[in-house]
Amino acid sequence: MNKQISSAGMIGGFDAIAMEVFANRLLSITESMAINMMRSSFSTQIKERRDFSVGLFDGYGRLVAQGTHIPVHLGSLMGAVDALLARYPRDQIRPGDAFICNDPYAAGGTHLPDISIATPLFIGDSLVAFMVNIGHHNDVGGRVPGSTAATAESIFEEGLRIPSMRVRREGEVDEDLLNMISLNTRLPEERVLDLKVQVATNDRGGEEARKLIDRMGICGFEARIQDLLDYTRRRLELRIAELRTSAPSTFTTYLDDDGLPGGDRVPLKVTVSVEDGKLILDFEGSGLEARGALNIAQNALRATAYYCVKALLDPELMANSGMMESIVLRAPVGTIVNPRDPAPVGSRTIACQRLAGAIFGAFQPLIDPEGRMASSYDVLPSYVFSGLNPQTGKYYICGETIGGGGGARCDSDGMDGVHVHITNSLNLPIESMENEYPLICEEYALLQNSGGLGRWRGGMGITRTIRALHDNTTVSARSDRHNHGAPGAEGGEPGGMGRLIRNPGADGEEMLPSKVTQTIFRAGDTLRIEIPGGGGFGRPTNRPVGMIAADLRDEIISEDHARKGYGDTLVDAALALLHGGEKQTAA
Amino acid sequence: MYRIGVDVGGTFTDFVMLDTEGESTAFHKVPSTPDDPSRAIAAGINEILELNKVDPAKVGYVGHGTTVATNMVIEGRGVPTGLLTTKGFRDVLAIGRQTRPSLYDWSVRKPEPLVERYRRIEVDERLDKDGNPLTVPDIKAVMELVTALKDSGVEAVAIGFLHSYRNPEHERVVRDLINEIAPDLYVSISSDVVAEFREFERISTTALNAYVGPRTQKYLHRLRSRIADAGIRIEPLTFHSNGGLLPVQTVEELPVLTCLSGPAAGVIGSAHIGTEISETEIITFDVGGTSTDVSLITKGQPQFTSSRLVAGHPVRMPMVDIHVIGAGGGSIARIDDAGALKVGPTSAGAVPGPISYLQGGGDVTLTDANIVLGRLNPVALLEGRMKVDRGLAEEAIKKQIAGPLGLSVEEASYGILSIATANMSRAIRSVSTEHGHDLSNFTLFSFGGAGSLHAAEVAEECGLRKIVVPREPGTLCARGVLLSDLSRDYVRTALVVARPETWRQVVGLGDEMAENGKDWLATEALPGAAQELQVSLDARYFGQSHSIPIALQELNEDVLEAFVQKFHQAHADQYGYRLDDHGIEIVNVRLKAVCHVKKGNAVPRIQGGSLQKALLETRKVFFGTSWKDTPVYRRALLAAGVPFSGPAIVEEMSGTTVILPGQTAELDAFGNIHISLKS
Repeated sequence: MNKQISSAGMIGGFDAIAMEVFANRLLSITESMAINMMRSSFSTQIKERRDFSVGLFDGYGRLVAQGTHIPVHLGSLMGAVDALLARYPRDQIRPGDAFICNDPYAAGGTHLPDISIATPLFIGDSLVAFMVNIGHHNDVGGRVPGSTAATAESIFEEGLRIPSMRVRREGEVDEDLLNMISLNTRLPEERVLDLKVQVATNDRGGEEARKLIDRMGICGFEARIQDLLDYTRRRLELRIAELRTSAPSTFTTYLDDDGLPGGDRVPLKVTVSVEDGKLILDFEGSGLEARGALNIAQNALRATAYYCVKALLDPELMANSGMMESIVLRAPVGTIVNPRDPAPVGSRTIACQRLAGAIFGAFQPLIDPEGRMASSYDVLPSYVFSGLNPQTGKYYICGETIGGGGGARCDSDGMDGVHVHITNSLNLPIESMENEYPLICEEYALLQNSGGLGRWRGGMGITRTIRALHDNTTVSARSDRHNHGAPGAEGGEPGGMGRLIRNPGADGEEMLPSKVTQTIFRAGDTLRIEIPGGGGFGRPTNRPVGMIAADLRDEIISEDHARKGYGDTLVDAALALLHGGEKQTAA
Repeated sequence: MYRIGVDVGGTFTDFVMLDTEGESTAFHKVPSTPDDPSRAIAAGINEILELNKVDPAKVGYVGHGTTVATNMVIEGRGVPTGLLTTKGFRDVLAIGRQTRPSLYDWSVRKPEPLVERYRRIEVDERLDKDGNPLTVPDIKAVMELVTALKDSGVEAVAIGFLHSYRNPEHERVVRDLINEIAPDLYVSISSDVVAEFREFERISTTALNAYVGPRTQKYLHRLRSRIADAGIRIEPLTFHSNGGLLPVQTVEELPVLTCLSGPAAGVIGSAHIGTEISETEIITFDVGGTSTDVSLITKGQPQFTSSRLVAGHPVRMPMVDIHVIGAGGGSIARIDDAGALKVGPTSAGAVPGPISYLQGGGDVTLTDANIVLGRLNPVALLEGRMKVDRGLAEEAIKKQIAGPLGLSVEEASYGILSIATANMSRAIRSVSTEHGHDLSNFTLFSFGGAGSLHAAEVAEECGLRKIVVPREPGTLCARGVLLSDLSRDYVRTALVVARPETWRQVVGLGDEMAENGKDWLATEALPGAAQELQVSLDARYFGQSHSIPIALQELNEDVLEAFVQKFHQAHADQYGYRLDDHGIEIVNVRLKAVCHVKKGNAVPRIQGGSLQKALLETRKVFFGTSWKDTPVYRRALLAAGVPFSGPAIVEEMSGTTVILPGQTAELDAFGNIHISLKS
């Protein structure tokens, strides 16, 4: 019924028009899978935080199209398909099969709560595609609720490990396996519901893919996939060729500790270079395996690297195997970026965030000067208040991850109070928090003097002060960059550091370390969290007086802080500008 | 009596006039005057009255859709605005929801708050979550703050205190104080604008309202005096984004209600026309110069949402749910350096516009492709009023697209069209999957200047069986304004788990709003018109964060159980499961006060006409594989009930309809074209 697009439109052996039409049809399939997953799933992680991804692979296991809302999932589907094809030869895969896995070491996972389902699509006897999705499950057992404790010391404390295995065999769902999985979680009903939704999501995507293949034939389908992957690869190669790669570029950042109390700081080091047209990211020099759960499993490393390449080189680039072929990751075995079984990996997002910052830093000299920026706060700070809610008589857990300062760019100030890199989570509105939990928020604001000074100012961090209304409130908090701020670039100054303070401004004010676990607060006790800002870009003395004046007027910086960074001459001129004629003589 | 509907667009201002006896409908279009949109409105009204020899005194109704407030935000032309807010929370507007707007592209920034930081002033006051005062504002201190704010040059002030949706007292005290000491300031308080919890969205909406308030007032004053000068004796009504009309005074208080209202009128018009011809399952497909707007109508009802962004700023208001993508006639086609052909989302806009429009455009656009392929009239548009140059378009497509791809000009042009079709179809699929519907049950309603140029291909691509093209599709939004009722929405946050003891509280909120609604109707309703109050509850299972709206016939002590059952069922319908033992939380209570407007017969019966009379010319049109001799008909001269088959083109003042080979078309008695796809 549909008109066949002319096949004369070839560049380098591919059909530009047919490819673009095909790309839209494919994205319709992944979008529909994503909507189905979100609408039907039960748990808040998937339904409301959108912590899931969907994708379509070809019959050879190459990723063709992916739908994702959080970059930490980029490429994370690939591990599941690689593991599946490594475990089962193609001729043992049957129509009606569906495969499940989560293990970071045995089955290409990133941490145990992320469970993947991969479903083969057959047209006649030919295995032509895999429909795949991954979802973050609220709990898969282990030592703590939620299954991700930064202080876990082995993956065996993090919950159930699932290798690549069939969850459905030729159309028959393995209820025994589902029972076994659900028995190993704290929320069994939710697990079974969500796993069934994951299986159904692939079936639905598969039906739509089948219609598409019926329309264009298997050969046409495969030809267009090849076009799309070739195009993506060619497009990234062009971006790589534009890099200024006369010499490799290295950047090192340090985690405050390795996840356990009192741990030493851990270097995250990356060297970026180009070899034979491919991007090489070498992590030699990064710290040894962390004792705590900050280790970055292979697929978490891939996701972080792919996010950075896409953001730095071509934000519109389709995330598929064509992109990934040109990126080579070298991570020494036994380090925090290539841990060995059974090193714990549950809280890898904290380390991934800092690693993304390091990769951004290493790329800076290589990219077009018009896209350069200073380091962002690069932390994933979080707090959790928990206890019994006397109003409901029920146990509550209230927590969120908090935004900080974006790095200043070469042409603009950094963004204030945002999530950066591999996450982008909504805040918890004050009015929601106070309605749901026995807590009161005293301040939610941007933090003065937290943005690094420079020609362009770093973004400001957020501060939040929360008061417990009842005794026996348990408080945990986790941050980083309490020892040094986000570095500036090209002469810009570092951003402000993070702080955690108990009872600020009151008797018994207490400065806390960057990681606090299970501390008991009494009624009236407050916790103030100060999130680091972003680094500045360019020398502070080059900042125009008018902008310094606006920062002073807006109380983004204090006069003292400004005098230290910008010098008296500039600040006096700025003040004169603010106050009209009166102060000009003083300057 | 005559009724006039007006829609102000970026390029043209459209007019539809009908008389309530249903004798005639007139359509008109004049160039917009963006510096003062009321000039084009007055000019067009004068022209349409004169062309149809209508006495202005006989005009009993003027309704208009306007982008005045929206454009003020997009272009940053509101007034200097201040914000008074709770101590400790002056950065709520700047932090927003702490997300960055683009996951990957760091050159995309969060929008700057509409109120600068030094004009966001903290008042030492606080309510707890139940609305009990913890700290009461000190009048003397507030007086000083207001004076300082005024001295800084603000013309408008927004007031947004935490938990004011529970207790508006503190906001009102401060407002009254401002009215007393600085009566020339425009003041908006969050508990009046949108009494809903979640501080960022509420305060953002309130700040935006204050920011556009004073200039919207000035615009309305100009519009009123121009309409009075035209000899019309009634006050103009203004279309709001939830698909109804507001009197002048309400718009002056709440201009934010008109933001993003433009495309909503087309959806309301489609629902109304659809009901007349028994089409209740509809996908609306509105293609203009820069965007394609898609929305879904089921059981004759448009779908609503309560949150959209205006230039990146959230506006928390009930509004017609419309999915917008950057694909339209002006979408630019170009080949990227890796060899792919992309169409949009960049647009040549009205200026410089498509190459063939001779306004200085140099980039190939979708419109140029349509002209080269013979689908759009290659000589002139707008009934001959606007000349076009096909040759220029052909030359550019050859040089920019066909040459590099090694294609003929028509193959390249058709490729541009195919890619646009694929983009638009993806938007349609996403709207239908989002609401869980099967597209094959839907009819595509195509309108906007370019909708029916693309509807035939898009319907085929999406598996839709039928297309309806209303008369003068380019002016449907103006007609939608004529088919709407006066209405105003109210909301109050409840946040209680539904139980007999909390239900009383919910009923109480409903009663309070019913009083407000009745007061509003008493002052603003048209005499003798039917009135109605519609109640709905936003509800969710306790612990969830997204709620679903549940409409109730009435809200009183006795309907708790009925509500509970309705919610479980709605949840099952939408998400596929229900939790009968789980608590249901009522988040918001909503009330809509409606005054039904007498609309008369929308369209006269079509009489006379025939294919022969309607035939304008036969021209060559390219349909993917070959050029075909294609009859071009003038719509006004087609007869009702006489089927004709594609290929065919139907032209009228504000639009062109393409019917593909194998499709058949027929006019109904109202003049709508129905196109059936081959099955």
